Order: sequence, then structure tokens, then C-alpha cells
Amino acid sequence: MKPKFLITSLTGCSGCIATIMSLDVSPQLLERSKLSYFPFMSDIKTIENIDIALIEGCVSEESQIEHLKTVRKNAKKVYALGSCAAFGGILNLSTKKDAEPISNYIEIDGIIPGCPIPANLLGNCLIRLIENKEIILSEKNLCDSCPLRGNIEHDFDYKINKLYPNPDEIVSPEENSECFLKRGILCLGPVIRDGCEHICIKKGIPCEGCMGPVSKDFTANIVNFLSLVKLSKDLKGYDGIFYRFSKPKFNW
Amino acid sequence: MKKVIEVCTRIEGHAKVNIFLENQNDEISYVDFEISAYRGFENILLKKKLLDIPKIASRICGLCHVSQSIASCKAIENLYELEPSEQSVLLRRLLMIGELIKSHSMHFFFQSFPDLINIFNINNNRELLLPYKLIKDYPQITSNFFDLIKIGNEIDKIFGGRAIHSITLIPGGLVYTPSKKNTILSRRYFQKALTNLEFLIEKFIEFFSNQVPPTEYMLPNPIYLALHDQKTYDRYTGLLGIKKKNNKTVNFFGKNYSNYFDKDINLRGINFNLDENVLVGPLARNKIVENYGLDETSSYLSYFDNNWKNNILFGSFIRLIEMFAEVKKGLEILDDPLLNKKEVLPSLNSIQNSDGIGYVEAPRGILLHHYHLNRENSVDQVKLFIATEINIPLINEMITKYAQKLYEKEDINSVKKKIQMIIRSFDPCVSCATH
Ligand code: SF4
Ligand code: SF4
Repeated sequence: MKPKFLITSLTGCSGCIATIMSLDVSPQLLERSKLSYFPFMSDIKTIENIDIALIEGCVSEESQIEHLKTVRKNAKKVYALGSCAAFGGILNLSTKKDAEPISNYIEIDGIIPGCPIPANLLGNCLIRLIENKEIILSEKNLCDSCPLRGNIEHDFDYKINKLYPNPDEIVSPEENSECFLKRGILCLGPVIRDGCEHICIKKGIPCEGCMGPVSKDFTANIVNFLSLVKLSKDLKGYDGIFYRFSKPKFNW
Repeated sequence: MKKVIEVCTRIEGHAKVNIFLENQNDEISYVDFEISAYRGFENILLKKKLLDIPKIASRICGLCHVSQSIASCKAIENLYELEPSEQSVLLRRLLMIGELIKSHSMHFFFQSFPDLINIFNINNNRELLLPYKLIKDYPQITSNFFDLIKIGNEIDKIFGGRAIHSITLIPGGLVYTPSKKNTILSRRYFQKALTNLEFLIEKFIEFFSNQVPPTEYMLPNPIYLALHDQKTYDRYTGLLGIKKKNNKTVNFFGKNYSNYFDKDINLRGINFNLDENVLVGPLARNKIVENYGLDETSSYLSYFDNNWKNNILFGSFIRLIEMFAEVKKGLEILDDPLLNKKEVLPSLNSIQNSDGIGYVEAPRGILLHHYHLNRENSVDQVKLFIATEINIPLINEMITKYAQKLYEKEDINSVKKKIQMIIRSFDPCVSCATH
């Protein structure tokens, strides 16, 4: 029996769903599963007997809660697709709008984080779901296997005064393999989950944290990290560094 | 008045149509296409650091993210009075081409093609409600489109560092010097895309050029707005043109946009001081740009008469033509020796202007970002002008007229279903519109 999928979106950018459509394994997925509800490309409006539900986007409107509950009631497994659904996502930066992770309203079976979800990670997760296996996420932080790792001395105590390097200071890891923190540039690697293959860092851009927290108690990690580095006054007063994609705590 | 609500399917994001009935439900008074769940990016971007803004703006939309970031970078470059290098511009253009291929192909295959097949009864009355049923009936067309989606994706991955929400797009330029290997790979992708597009364009001509498009889909003489470079197709640079009913085009610099249109950020919608509704996107570009600079495109276009050319359904063909023209352009860029030169990006030090305006033609039409700085050089006002938002009044005009006429002979369910075909032919981007 082919597993029946539902893919739906709440408040987001559709980037995670667009990622599904261009995966290398996409044709294989279409063959091995049945898409029963996917408004993006089908006219079917009924939600029933779903094996695997993938939900993109955060909850920002009351009207979305009912839809979410219908999905939960009719699906064996429900996963948060992307950082919006998992942690609230970029809308956490808003002072006017709510951006709630779906796990605040329904029980979920797991998250597949990223903004957008890294293609390899998503492909692997989807294949595992089709094979009725649990998805696997790394439990390590981004520093653990970072290409700039070699030079980190673990008694940080760095003075951090920049969110990003000025364009003329951007260098690839091959040209300069010094850790961003050592250069006085903030990188969220220490508190962020590994799994993106360090794509930003490889381009000479520090991590902005799109994969979300490596543990459920994000705040504790951040406090710990901040005790090791000295943020400039300017950065201390800047909104949305750590809670850009996520909230302090989660239910999942 | 009674209100009938229908949730739209096969569009990007969540939207619905509200049909208002009057006279004991005998007549349709009006119909409106409603998008809700506004996210408020104009607010989110306030007080943000200038280097941070394009990264956040990219998250407005997972389909037009390249356009969002580039419009944002350009607005910031305008604040610094800085022009990115020629190399950076070429690289940005490649990213835009990748984005266009992916976005247009997804629209064509999942949204417009199944509708076209139904409207013209190509498949002998067999309804193709589910696009993946197309896979069975049209395997070659399907695989051609899947290839194109993939190609657009790979091009953006190569030049953007990842396929969606590019890492390399920053104010001042683009972080990346392509390796030889990647240039060769990209050339192969574009060559493949060209073959696929030739096939698809010929198929479109074979299926539809002898058909007469239904009058319900005729455009009601709107005003067209698009970017162009001296009447040549260009989505990165040039003047904005507004083409009115009398066929005259008024051209202006984007920085003077507020003489032509503006918005109140507390209200939805964009105000034009014009009598007719405005259309932006592929068809508007086609009306304003006189040529795509290629013999092939002129000969492809010559298969269709004015019934087609003034019909919103023709947008689907123009999307194929634009992909074709841009892939050719992409191949030229890849041959440019400037592309592989190692460059240091400029330093962003002193702000020169308190207003920064940046714009590009996104796949769905003009996209303009305007940031204002206060005395402390902190962003205190943001205005985003987004294609789908501009098109909504015209969408409403067309679906209302169509629904009223249809309701004289068909029931409300049929109305609900058929007006969605008009909506889909506009390729609305709900993510962008709910910025
Ligand atoms: S997680 Fe990022 S890519 Fe995915 S829907 Fe949200 S904003 Fe878009
Ligand atoms: S380096 Fe950080 S911001 Fe970049 S993709 Fe990885 S987790 Fe996301």
C-alpha cells in the first residue's frame, strides 16, 4: 500500500513546499506515495485517511487552528515542515503578529527544520517516512563539524561587534579559516542544529540560525553562549538576533 | 445580501473568492478575490540593519525570493549611492533567470496547463482535475516541465548558494566567483532547457494556435505597467513604462514612482491615479516591450492573432517565450569573460541618501522596495509594491463580469469553479501579496 500524504500550508512563504517539488527524489516520491490532499497542485478538498501530513507555515490566524485540528484528527502522523511550522519562523520578528509553532495547538510526530529545509535533509526524511521509518535529525550543534572549527579555542571570550561582515570583508573558508566569532562577527553556530551542510559559512557568511535550536530549551543555550562572548551594545539592543526563527521554548 | 465563499485551489498560498448575491439570490452583485493573513513585512523591516534587510525580505516569498532580495539590495545600494560591479549584475541576472524558469514552469504545469486542456476540450472531455493525472496522458510534456523546474532550481543553487533564499545576494554585489566546473554545468542546464522549451512552445502552438480563445478571458483594456530597457525586454534595469488605452507609453525612473502610484501602508492596495485597472506581469511586459531581441520569438508569436494577444490566457504562452528568451540570455552571460574574474566587493561605509528605492521585474511583474531612513540612519518607513497586489483590482473586475454572465445560465457551483480559472491565469502569488 502506498502511503497517503497530505501537504498543506498555513502562514509562510511556500519555500518549503517549493523545495519538495524540486527534490532529486521527487519523481520517486510521486511513484511511491499517493498525494491525497495538496491544494497547491490538486483540486481535492476532503481530508481523510491520511498516513503522513506535512504542514508548512506558522499559525498566525485563528481560522487556521480548525484546519490544523482536522488534519491531526485524520492523519496517522503529522510533521512540521520547515522552521515556520516548527518554531514560528521569520514572523517571530513581528511585534504585531503572532507566529506560533503548530505544536502549540496539536501534537506532532516530529519536525523537519530549516528556512528553507535543506534539500538533502528533506529528501532523506521523506524517503524514510515513505518507508515507515522515523526521521533522523542531528543532535549536534553547527560548530561540531564546521569547516572553521579547527581554530576555535574553547575559552571563547570574544568581543562581538558585527552581525555580518562588511561586503569587502567576506572571505571563503579556503582564504581565511578563522572562526567568525574570533573575527568579532556573530555566528549562531554554537546554538543552532547541524544539518544544513554549513552552506552559509562556506560562502563566508555567518549562520543566522535558520535550522533553529539544537535543544528544546533554546534560552538556556543562548544564556550559556552569551556568557562566553561579549556582545557590543549595538548588538545587544538589536531585535531578532536569536529569536529570529524561533521562540525561547517548545513543546515538541 | 448573501455571501458564498469558495476556497481557491491550485494557486500558491491561501486565498478565497467571495461571491455576493442579491435579488433573492438571482443575481451576482460582485465577486472578490480575497487574500488574508497579512504578515506585515513593512513593519518587520523597520529599524533593521541594512545588511540584514535583504535576508529577511527574501522570506516574503519562496517563489520570488531572488527578486525580493535583489529589489532590497538595490534599494540599499541606492542609500549608499553605490552601483554593484558588472560581474555582480551578471550573476544577479543568472539568479533571476533561474527563478523565472522555476516559477513560470510551476505555474504553467500545475495551474494553467490543466485549465487550458479543459477550456479547449483538448482531452475529449476527460476532466483533468488533478495535474498528476496529466503525467499519464502527457508524459513527455510532464517530464519536460519537471526538468525545467529542476533546472531553474539548480541554477539558483549554483549561483545563490542554495536554491531558495539565496545566501550570496548581499547589498553591494554578489558573493561568488563561479568555478569553471559550475559554468560548464550551468551551460549544460541551459542547453537542455532550450531544447525542452522549443518542444513545449511547438506543442503549445500545435494545441492552441488554431483555437479561438473564449471571450470571457479577454482583457478589458487595462493599463500596462512594466520595466523595459529602451523597449527591449529587460527585468533588471531600465525605465518603468505605463501604457495607456491610446497605446502611448509614459516612461519614468523608478525613483519617481510616487508621481504615478503610491500606497498607504496602513491600508491594503496600491493607488494609481488612473481610470482603468492596471496589469503587471508577463503580458504587460509583452505589451510594453516591443521585442525580445530574437528572431525565433517573433516567429513563434506570429502564430497567434489579436484575439489571443489580448486574452489573459495568452500569458501562458508568453511565459514559455520569456523562458526561452532568458535561457538564451543566460547562455550569453555564461560566455562573458567578466563572469569568472575574482573581485573584491565594495565596502558599505557612508550613507548618502535618506531614501532608497530599488526595483526589478519579478516573474509576476514589477516589484519595488522603498526604504526611508531617519536622522540616525535607522529605517523608519518601508513601502513594498508587489505585483499581485497591483493585479487584484483587475482580477476582481474580470471575475465579477464573468460570474454575472455565467450565472444567467449556470449554477453557483459552476461559477465557483470557472472563475478560479481566470484567477489562476493571472498566476497570483499569495505569499508576496500577503507580505
Ligand atoms: S521555513 Fe522559511 S522557507 Fe519554509 S515556509 Fe517558512 S519562511 Fe518559507
Ligand atoms: S549556516 Fe545557519 S543560517 Fe545558514 S543554512 Fe545553516 S543553519 Fe541556516
